[in-house]
Amino acid sequence: MIRPKRRVRVAASIAAATVIAVSLTACGGGGSGGVEDTEADKGLPVAGVNLTYDPNTLVNDGKPIELEWWAWSNIEQFQAIADAYTEIHPNVTIKVVNQPWEDYWTKLPLELQSDGGPAIFNVHNSQHDNLIAKMEPYDIDPADLEADYTGAAAHVIDGETYYVDLGLMSGSIYYNTDMWEAAGLTEADIPKTWDEFREVAKKLTIREGDELRQAGFNFNGAGQAMQMGMAYQLGQNLFAADGATPAVDNQANLDVINRFLDIYADGSGDADFGASATESFGQGLSAMTYAWGWFSGTLRNEYPDLKWSAFQTPVPSGGETPYAYDRYNGESTFGINANASDAEKAAAQDFLRYYLTDEESMKELSLSFSIFPAYKPIADDPAFTEDPALAAFGDIERYIWPGPVPSTFETSTATMWEEILFNGVAPEDALATAQKTIEKDLDGKGFVPTEDLYPFYAAD
Amino acid sequence: MKVRVFALNATLAVVGVIIVLPFFWMILSAFKSNAEIVGFEQSFWPREWTLQNFISIQTKLDFFRLFGNSVFLSVTITALSVYTSLVGGFVFAKYRFRGRGVLFAVILSTMMVTWAVVIIPRYTMFREIGLTDSYASIIIPAVISAFGIFMMRQSMDAVPDEILEAARIDGASEWFIFHRIVAPMSVNAISALSIFIFLWVWEDYLWPYLMISSEEKQVLAVGLTTFNGQYSTDYGGLFAATSLAIVPVMIVYVIFQRRFIAGAASAALKG
Amino acid sequence: MSIHTSTKQAASSSAPAASASGPRRIRKPASELWLRNITVGTVMVSIVALLLIPIGIALVGSFHDWNPLNGTFDFTGIDNYVELFADATFWRASANTLVFGILAIVGRVVLGLAIAYALFSKLSRWRTFFRTIFYLPTVMPLVAVAFLWKLMYNPQFGAINTLFGLDINWLFDPRYSLLAIVIMTIWKDFGFAVILFLAGLYAIPEDVLEAASVDGANAWRTFWHIILPLLRPMLFFVVITSMIGYLQAFVQVLVMTNGGPGTSTQLISFMIYDQAFVKYDFGYASAIAFVLLVATAVLTAASWRMNQSAIDTPRRRRATKRSEKRPS
Repeated sequence: MIRPKRRVRVAASIAAATVIAVSLTACGGGGSGGVEDTEADKGLPVAGVNLTYDPNTLVNDGKPIELEWWAWSNIEQFQAIADAYTEIHPNVTIKVVNQPWEDYWTKLPLELQSDGGPAIFNVHNSQHDNLIAKMEPYDIDPADLEADYTGAAAHVIDGETYYVDLGLMSGSIYYNTDMWEAAGLTEADIPKTWDEFREVAKKLTIREGDELRQAGFNFNGAGQAMQMGMAYQLGQNLFAADGATPAVDNQANLDVINRFLDIYADGSGDADFGASATESFGQGLSAMTYAWGWFSGTLRNEYPDLKWSAFQTPVPSGGETPYAYDRYNGESTFGINANASDAEKAAAQDFLRYYLTDEESMKELSLSFSIFPAYKPIADDPAFTEDPALAAFGDIERYIWPGPVPSTFETSTATMWEEILFNGVAPEDALATAQKTIEKDLDGKGFVPTEDLYPFYAAD
Repeated sequence: MKVRVFALNATLAVVGVIIVLPFFWMILSAFKSNAEIVGFEQSFWPREWTLQNFISIQTKLDFFRLFGNSVFLSVTITALSVYTSLVGGFVFAKYRFRGRGVLFAVILSTMMVTWAVVIIPRYTMFREIGLTDSYASIIIPAVISAFGIFMMRQSMDAVPDEILEAARIDGASEWFIFHRIVAPMSVNAISALSIFIFLWVWEDYLWPYLMISSEEKQVLAVGLTTFNGQYSTDYGGLFAATSLAIVPVMIVYVIFQRRFIAGAASAALKG
Repeated sequence: MSIHTSTKQAASSSAPAASASGPRRIRKPASELWLRNITVGTVMVSIVALLLIPIGIALVGSFHDWNPLNGTFDFTGIDNYVELFADATFWRASANTLVFGILAIVGRVVLGLAIAYALFSKLSRWRTFFRTIFYLPTVMPLVAVAFLWKLMYNPQFGAINTLFGLDINWLFDPRYSLLAIVIMTIWKDFGFAVILFLAGLYAIPEDVLEAASVDGANAWRTFWHIILPLLRPMLFFVVITSMIGYLQAFVQVLVMTNGGPGTSTQLISFMIYDQAFVKYDFGYASAIAFVLLVATAVLTAASWRMNQSAIDTPRRRRATKRSEKRPS
């Protein structure tokens, strides 16, 4: 029963694997070279308008310092910004660390809670609650930030700013220009109202007998993104006047639901036509879809051959500016770890000013995120009108930010739409359930919306 | 007879093809561009073969470093926990002592605990002790395996007590009996357990992710999750990385498979 | 708990054999005590430190409004449990978990057993090859498998509809969504059962099988009356581990349906994951987890009892010593 030969083989293979593993782990690494900076005067101009950055200083007294910067996307871009800063201040090295999006929001708050974590980290405002207590306020006058950054005022807490929007993202209607032409439509046919939209969707629909071949409009899987914005068009806020009670189960949302159900009832689309509207659009099966700005990046990367454009989301009645076209959300600037050492925090604050006044980087970031830049000096750059999804925001002032809304809004609305589309639940009942779930999830969270900071805010 | 041979093997072949198709599809998809993977026009073979996915997993992820880390951790943990399982199995199978039944039941019942309950308190504890960003934090919770002790106990039950008694009469120490007599008789069970544990460690991602912060120490399973981004999934990258990630597990399986099957018998619960 | 008593029974049933093998020694050798104490000590310390203490913290947490990510920890009494039992999603998830578990276990056992028996048969060829093929899905990471199947289930371009000429919106039709997840799970997991059943089959003493074939019993009868009873311990093991595993399954749902459409594929463990790691309501998540733990314990104990009584009543002939054989 004891077979020495085999045992040797087992032992040998384990040993071999260990050797491979160890040798693989052993290589690489290497310490960071400590470079001293002695020259404060870099001979560089001061950047910025109201918020300014003077590069002609010594950071950390010129002594070497290393910062870690967590991000979940655009790693190379962020690293390039960091490296450009190191060019100016050779004693500061900033290492961008890629963290997977999925679990970033578990790991980062846990690290911060236990007084660890990176010196700087990218923020998503949906995770505001779990981060804010461990964030260091920006060492910048909020008035300066507000003067240069759209929407910065909404991020001020007790006179301090912890992060602001890098750029704003919202929804628009994407359309397939080939299909548009094939249906005999022109620029002039771009619908301004939902009624016109419904007719255009019919024209863009192709059926063979009973079978849908080309959907005029597809919103499968996009219902939640749409729902939370469209009620604003009807003057309905996401929160009641008390600024605490979510307002989901109401006539405005019911009208929105029925409007979109009508389009499917027309036969211009179908709940079973593609699992996801954006995917179906990319595959060239659906002529129009509603999506947020990120989708133009996806289209460029994953469906490079598709010909598409975008137009502003239609409104209920023509010629009238709605209460708001849609809700927006921001991609945020980075946060600074309150538990970092003073030297790290000081260096991070200096880097922050550099980052916020670096026009070129801000432009590139906005373009690659497909966000409308919050940095005002670059807002009129022609590059932004070249992206149809960005050009579709006609009047950025008329987009409202409800605040860093907890994810329950999105998930509950998604469930609601599935109940309606696939499980045959009546819209009234689905809305009531969504309202209940959201109330339950918000209970005790003390969430404060920022709707009232909207310049055109009107309580119901 | 011939007909039955044919029927049986044909059935196996059909089931085999059905089983293996998704697998091949994944491998072939690793050579497709993302646009082709999610495109409407689907084809089994890539219309345009590309190595881009394999290149990008190395540049974006430093795949081979993560791979090496995972091999190192999996091998270490497997070796350690198989050894502790052997000792534990030996003690519970061959020694009679008070509370043995209760203790063993406690060990068994730990298998029912959902990871979601313990992971956060455990995280806090490990953080307090200062074990974060070390492989110790991943190895320690995995060193003692309830399943392993259970399986080894089952396996060693089959070793006749007479052999042990004879050795004891000859003056052999317990250490000698365990290492030179009982453990070698459990080679099959060891092989089976090794495969199980290796696979579990290889796949586990949340705990290593929470514990390890340096990129150069990260493991492969965590790397795989980076393909699922905020807005979209990089299927090509995911499939390319997965295709390579299963290679070591397959190698371990192929090397040990005969003993694996013979040893897996120890898992059977005896009344 | 009842598991304890049943294990005690198991332990005591093997005890007579031990005492019969030799007279009980009065003094145990020092090395035995040493080895035993160290082992038991280490195991107990690790269980206490790595499981019992965290479980204790979580149990306390289930009576709190608890979010470790921002430091919230406020006592709320039994509110979480009250809320849970009033939560329609919880009951839906419980029902789904039950259906999912039963279908997946039955599928895994039936398919695993059928294929193992086919491979065990003297008539089958290329056994090593087939075994490897059937084991392949088991080594693939579940996340990757879930994404792969999500693509295959696509109603328009997915391989499954194309291959079988169907027109089913697998993951979005409430009639099929849970089934779709079950099918994927069986595909991923049955290979493991094949190996375990093969192991059980090879452990059956040759003379038992020979005796059966001399009797002229046909294959079906042999399987039903001789093989299956001898496989019972392995069968029981597969069922128990599958049960524990499937009560904790959530990755499939997370990747493929997010619990939808609506709540059609909500599973208990997905709810725990969602509450803990998406909504960060750890108190509520812990409350669900404890209910699940109790349910798991009760189910495990019940299956154990069933197995015990099934073994005890007919007292089938059992091979006293299993000879370890190497499969062909």
